[in-house]
Amino acid sequence: MCGMGASFDRGLIEDFGRWRTFSAGMWAWVLHKVTGWVLAGYLFAHLAVLSTAIPASSNPEAIAANADLYTRTIQGLEGILLVRVLEIGLLAAAVFHMVNGIRLLLVDLGIGLERQAEGFYVSIVVTVLVTLVSVPVFLPPEVVPF
Amino acid sequence: MARPRSRFESGSVAWFLQRVTAVVLLFVLAFHFLWLHFVNHAADVTLWGSALRMDQLVYFIGMVVFLVTAVYHALNGIYNALLNWGLSGRARQVSFWVFAVVGVVAIVQGIRIAFAMAGVVTQ
Amino acid sequence: MSGDGKHPAPASNSPATDQEDQQASPGGRTQTEEETVTLQVYRYDPDVEAKRTGSFETFEIPVHEGMTVLDALIEARDEHDSSLTFRHSCRQGVCGSDAFFVNGKQRLGCKTQISELSKPIRIEPLPHQPVIKDLVVEMEGFYERMQAVEPYFDPDDPPPGELEERKQTRENREDVKLSTRCIWCGACTSSCTIASDEDVYLGPAAINKGYRFYADDREGDERGKERLELLTEHDGVFRCQTQFSCTLVCPQDIPLTEHIQTLKRDATKRDLKFW
Repeated sequence: MCGMGASFDRGLIEDFGRWRTFSAGMWAWVLHKVTGWVLAGYLFAHLAVLSTAIPASSNPEAIAANADLYTRTIQGLEGILLVRVLEIGLLAAAVFHMVNGIRLLLVDLGIGLERQAEGFYVSIVVTVLVTLVSVPVFLPPEVVPF
Repeated sequence: MARPRSRFESGSVAWFLQRVTAVVLLFVLAFHFLWLHFVNHAADVTLWGSALRMDQLVYFIGMVVFLVTAVYHALNGIYNALLNWGLSGRARQVSFWVFAVVGVVAIVQGIRIAFAMAGVVTQ
Repeated sequence: MSGDGKHPAPASNSPATDQEDQQASPGGRTQTEEETVTLQVYRYDPDVEAKRTGSFETFEIPVHEGMTVLDALIEARDEHDSSLTFRHSCRQGVCGSDAFFVNGKQRLGCKTQISELSKPIRIEPLPHQPVIKDLVVEMEGFYERMQAVEPYFDPDDPPPGELEERKQTRENREDVKLSTRCIWCGACTSSCTIASDEDVYLGPAAINKGYRFYADDREGDERGKERLELLTEHDGVFRCQTQFSCTLVCPQDIPLTEHIQTLKRDATKRDLKFW
């Protein structure tokens, strides 16, 4: 990405190397992109896991015993602590993307552009609050005594 | 003399649909998270349980709407991220169609899953 | 530490009597103290062996009240290193020549007070554009984008009567007022990661310039339609990701993002209309 005579390392590095000088709008953009990639990646992984329902549906005895491929796959995954922790991360990503998404919808409608930076701070606060509240729900009882 | 311009050329329709799907997703995704993590717990998911949910028409339709809007929103989002990274010309055109195909495949697969689940109840 | 001991150059705007007072008590301090500020300025010169890779050079500049970044740079050049190169002209915020990257933000040198900046002050050329020398960047890409939006008044029809003026309502003038203030400094386009120099995105300055005429009622509907088409093509307004950096750095306080958003909405309404 360097043009003639350029001697900085301009380009992608320059963009993200300057993170210390990012404004609210810039942070919102970066985080919206990052959470977007995470959610998109999850969507396809999720469809893959759910696809086990198709072969699983052909075995009524297994289904009755909750031992079919779909049930075993999902409960197996849910049994892994790391997966539970990642789910909390997924929740945080989703909440931020949704709340900041609302901020972006308002911007697109021309509402409250003067307060767009505050809107970003609200997104962060809501994300943190919802994530904290959800931790006991997401983590298994062995880890969370209450 | 002017070459025929498609209304899609500016990207305004894709932009608009991204916002429309965003609004829809705000509701369905929130519902999905609440229903499947707070009301029901993910660790307790079974095929039978999923089947009972999917057998209800309103839920089924809701999930299909969720599927279509989510796939569009996600793929359109990634496509735009690639454009901003400099995707252009022939690569851009090819990518567009690749994404379109991936989208259709994902939606078809999702609907197959939904039918498979609902079908368990009527077996 | 007060620089190299040279007598500070007189501030160009102060009459002789004020000058003495300033030397005696700059900023109201004691008579013997001379406050200085540390500038870290980016240096690069492809024609000089030692300067072929970019680096930062430090200057200690004596401060006087009301001193701007441009004043400090001129002092550095005039008193310390005459090879220090940067663009400047009017020094009053209307020519748009002296946009720099100061302490991590795009600012006009002549409109930025030394006193409001944290020290040491880091001055770099505008990001996302190739550096020609020191603080001078290649602006051709920027000018090309500006020209691409046909930035001149271009009405559908001649004025109503033969020698009559073309009238504009007060409301319409208010609508376009802020968009007319652009001084082509390039700060906004430099601040936008989508408009980095290799990209073809029009950028906030060019779009705003197009908006200025698009929104002007005096041009007429046909011209307005053509302009909207130009501004909403492939790498037009829909590449904007509402980072808001442009709005933040514009030295003329033009609500750039707002104007871009208006164009997005208008284009969407236009394209959805036939359904």
